[in-house]
Amino acid sequence: MTTQLTPAPRPHAPATVALKTPDFGGSSFVAQVRVLTGRSLRAMATDPGIVLFGLIQPVVILFVLTQVFSKMGMPPHFPDGVSYLDFVLPAVLVDNAAQSAMQSGVGLVEDLRNGVVARLRSLPVHPGALLVARSLVGLVRSAVQILVIMVLAMTVLGYSPNGGVAELALSAGLTLFISFALGWAFIAAGAWLRRAEPLQNLALIVIFPLMFASSAYVPVADLPGWLAAVAHVNPLTYAIDATRALALDVPGLDHAIPALLIGAVISAAGAFAALAGFRRPL
Amino acid sequence: MSGLLMPPVTQPDPGSGDLMIEADAVSKSYGTVHALDSVSVSARRGSVLALLGHNGAGKTTLVNVLTTALPLSSGRASVAGYDVTRDPFEIRRRIGLTGQFASVDTQLSGRDNLVLIARLLGAGRRAARSRAEELLELFELTTVADRRASGYSGGLRRRLDLAVSLVGGPQVIFLDEPTTGLDPSSRLKLWEIVEGLVEQGATVLLTTQYLEEADRLADSIAVLSAGKVVASGTADELKATVGRRTVTLTLDSDDAPARAGAALRGAGFAPVGGEDGTRGLVVPIDTTREIADVIRTLDQVGVEITELAFGEPTLDDVYLTLAEQHARIPA
Repeated sequence: MTTQLTPAPRPHAPATVALKTPDFGGSSFVAQVRVLTGRSLRAMATDPGIVLFGLIQPVVILFVLTQVFSKMGMPPHFPDGVSYLDFVLPAVLVDNAAQSAMQSGVGLVEDLRNGVVARLRSLPVHPGALLVARSLVGLVRSAVQILVIMVLAMTVLGYSPNGGVAELALSAGLTLFISFALGWAFIAAGAWLRRAEPLQNLALIVIFPLMFASSAYVPVADLPGWLAAVAHVNPLTYAIDATRALALDVPGLDHAIPALLIGAVISAAGAFAALAGFRRPL
Repeated sequence: MSGLLMPPVTQPDPGSGDLMIEADAVSKSYGTVHALDSVSVSARRGSVLALLGHNGAGKTTLVNVLTTALPLSSGRASVAGYDVTRDPFEIRRRIGLTGQFASVDTQLSGRDNLVLIARLLGAGRRAARSRAEELLELFELTTVADRRASGYSGGLRRRLDLAVSLVGGPQVIFLDEPTTGLDPSSRLKLWEIVEGLVEQGATVLLTTQYLEEADRLADSIAVLSAGKVVASGTADELKATVGRRTVTLTLDSDDAPARAGAALRGAGFAPVGGEDGTRGLVVPIDTTREIADVIRTLDQVGVEITELAFGEPTLDDVYLTLAEQHARIPA
């Protein structure tokens, strides 16, 4: 309990009301997460450019891949009755999920650098609250982007997945879960590195090649031997196979369990590492 | 001038229960570097403690330890009666911190920044909004309240930062170099705000590089150098240890300095100057009260003063002398 201070009467004092305040009584962890999530969502809503800017890379990749490669002959292991656009779209969504995850890390770095974290540390706010909020904001951003890309692909490019509405929703949900897991990995990286450039480099030198060394753009069976070997142990292959299987109604759903397990491990390890890194003094 | 005439505040008994800030032999080391070396300071409820020292002296480190942002290496510290190591959350509920760099969310408006902090402290939506409104008015931020803080000038941002640190009505307020980089009128305004807060019973710890600031606001001052407290006391006590105050006079005629000198010596002063035909005279004094004695003495012998200047030891005097003494005395 905060003791109420009784202000001395002084009509001209510039700060007469500053201390005359109710005891706000403190807030729970859940309330703190809610307030901090709301804060970032508000910033996002007033500056939607950030969300839209994040769409540039996946949309460009989508256009480039579908325009450049659609006229080439399909590789022998390409699933029957599936257009290249249909094939590649679930992978583009996973790529976008990774980019959005990186943004979560960058958001935390901004908080660390512009004084928000310094402010929160002087308040009775649990250190994990900001991390969870950053993760949740990432989920919202990913969901919005997935929706925009899907609608754009369906209306403009003619994306027509064979899976039903429920399967398509499950596919999007799994993509969101992957974004969530990678988000924790990037939040952890942000909490330890505390600079935005290395995070962006990390995304470029880890995620970008891993996308190509996976089932994202070409079926694994059609990749050169060594690349196929990499693709077989690449977690993204499992993630993409599973989301693709759901959306397009093609084989590969058996990869959903490993994808979920790997995602859960990355989330837990990321959250643990993030809290440890974040607790270090500024 | 009011600061100069402030009555000296006697140091409180340790453990009187009214100490809102108490650091007892606090040390903070990074490997072999001692950022803080057995620092002890304290502040009673409703008083202002100034930490004086140059860059790297350890002021901010001490603020960080007391605001529970940084664990201490050894020693003991408590704020508002709570131990910094055992009860950091209890302390954070009772303090406000304005750091050297404005800690506001530049993506949010000034109003949203204030509402955010109130909500984090547990205020309901409506209570948070009214508290924000109150502080916006107090700090004259209403006209920019709904603009993003990223567009604020340095002075505006600092004002918002201070407002944000007062949202919870803190009992103890930490101000880390609050006026560095502020223009003179903003500085004066901030001083008035601090004085207002203290009148309401807040305890303030302020770090500064300016003796003038410590002089005006502080009840007690601790001078830090290389992580150690090299001197502490009231402003007057500190100045008395390092040098004398002086009254510099310019008199109206060539023979005046000789007459004035004799009269002043008769009154117990030790004036310097006036021998080489100049009309100037420098009189060392101990208390500001003696300025009146000097004037009265000259008035009695009919010497007219055309100019009078009062000289104080500066921060440089205090700081350099203390640092030098400190260096000579082996630890």
